[in-house]
Amino acid sequence: MKNTINIGIPSKGRLRKDVLKIFKRKKLKLISERGERDLIGSIKNKKNLKILYLHAREIIERLGDGSLDIGFSGFDLFKESEFNTQKKINLVKKYDFGKANLVVAIPDPWIDVQTVADLEEIAFEFRDKKKKRLRVATKYPNLTRDFLFSKGVTQFQIVESLGATEVYPFTGSANLISDITSTGKTIKSNNLRILKDGEILKSQACVFSSKKSFSKIGLKNIIKLFS
Amino acid sequence: MKSKNLSEKILRSVKSKGFKYIELPSVIEANHIVQRSGENFRKFIFSFIDQNGSELCLRPDLTIVSCLRYLENNLKTKEKIFYSGQAYRKSNNKKDSIIRDQIGFEIIGSKDEKKDDKEIIDTSLKSIKNLKYSTGTLTIGNVEIFNLLISKLDIPKRWKLRLSRHFWRESYFNDLLKRLETNSDVDPTIVEVDKKRYLKMTKENKSSIIAGRSIDEILKRFDKKIKDPRRPSKGRNVSKIIRGFLKIKCPINKAAQELNKFFKKNKINLAVDQKYFPLSNKKVSKLNVIFSTAFGRQLEYYTGMVFKIDIKSKNKIKNIFNGGRYDQLISDLGSKKKVPAVGAAINLK
Repeated sequence: MKNTINIGIPSKGRLRKDVLKIFKRKKLKLISERGERDLIGSIKNKKNLKILYLHAREIIERLGDGSLDIGFSGFDLFKESEFNTQKKINLVKKYDFGKANLVVAIPDPWIDVQTVADLEEIAFEFRDKKKKRLRVATKYPNLTRDFLFSKGVTQFQIVESLGATEVYPFTGSANLISDITSTGKTIKSNNLRILKDGEILKSQACVFSSKKSFSKIGLKNIIKLFS
Repeated sequence: MKSKNLSEKILRSVKSKGFKYIELPSVIEANHIVQRSGENFRKFIFSFIDQNGSELCLRPDLTIVSCLRYLENNLKTKEKIFYSGQAYRKSNNKKDSIIRDQIGFEIIGSKDEKKDDKEIIDTSLKSIKNLKYSTGTLTIGNVEIFNLLISKLDIPKRWKLRLSRHFWRESYFNDLLKRLETNSDVDPTIVEVDKKRYLKMTKENKSSIIAGRSIDEILKRFDKKIKDPRRPSKGRNVSKIIRGFLKIKCPINKAAQELNKFFKKNKINLAVDQKYFPLSNKKVSKLNVIFSTAFGRQLEYYTGMVFKIDIKSKNKIKNIFNGGRYDQLISDLGSKKKVPAVGAAINLK
């Protein structure tokens, strides 16, 4: 169907719940033929709309290649994606929910480290004295790399993490982490501390559209509805 | 075709000065690059994984590969070498080519550093005779003089190291100077809270490791930091001296005189001899020879003399040579001993 509009919604978590509320508010009734776990859905009385439930990271990628026309995801994941993907996506609206910060956190007992400037020094100490690189575990290698570099920390190595990043410094896989947090609780309860100037990015839920879908019939109206 | 002839002529000039041609591998271990330049270089390299799981990359730069060759062949004696080939780098700018032609020559592993600096510049000057130009500039700088100045300033040691480390990154360096001029970097209220923690930690096993650092290491650095705070008034003065120093630019024959005048005026216990510089004539081969304290900031690995040659041809200014001393590079790549190295690259675009 050439003019079917594909809409991506996060398949799980709080982001999914909050996005579904928007649909409710806009009086759009979501239908899943095979029950709640169905990853494909539709909207009552809107034949041209197709709903796809995907991982929030995947939504950004699919907007980038044009297989989604509209997608709900986090600002953090958009900014983390490759430069060429970002260029193919329009940010339609930032919402007031899904707020979280991407931050740099260090082991709490590192009492001599308060700021990124301290980290810069430690990084050179690692290189010069230990002949090792400071290792940073993260699910956000691109944002973390750019942030640290802009703050003078050039001597480090990224360890890509798929989850439970908070534990990495204590298993010998990394020395510090960067991760997304809304309350800071998980970070604190894992014996980590956020650096005073360690905020990499403020994130929130957003709706995006693919630049490729620009000419699809009815798309403008749908975008208007969500913005 | 024309540029091929030209590069052949230049290579012949380099060879006539006693440099030996070497072939360099196109593919190297990516780890070497990350070890030297840190994580940010990853953005520019073309890397891939081989059947053993090692990450390899296309060479992004020939100087690094040439230093690796010296290291891996376990060479110990002085070598004068030159090479010509392609380097491969990604760019965010679509118009940039990913292939860069690079011709370079180097002197690695000799002890007479001043003589080698001069020889690299002389070789560049001989090669440039193959080109048509009306005038031009040979700009000379020296990262070592900057580091000497920093070592004499009245600021905490960690700030000295920081300023030296980031000399080559101009915008971040300017941020550092701004920070130096403003508030103190130790927050007194936080220090009070942490002191309690500090006392508690002194009773723990000092050799136990927390995320790669021993308690001893953490406590020592904490101690050093609070005992050596930076005072804003001093910071402002130091920043003023650094900014003043980085404005010095004069004909090379006046370099020692200008620098010494500056050191005296700012009560800095340093003196430089004109012999320190590889040249003392303000004009050579139609080029004006300039000394500039701020020059030499484009590459992290320069440690001493740096130079570039720009020529004016058909009313256009073109950069032809870039070079300098990089005594730390081979150690950074894994050598246990410090191996002095100096070299230059020719830009024929």
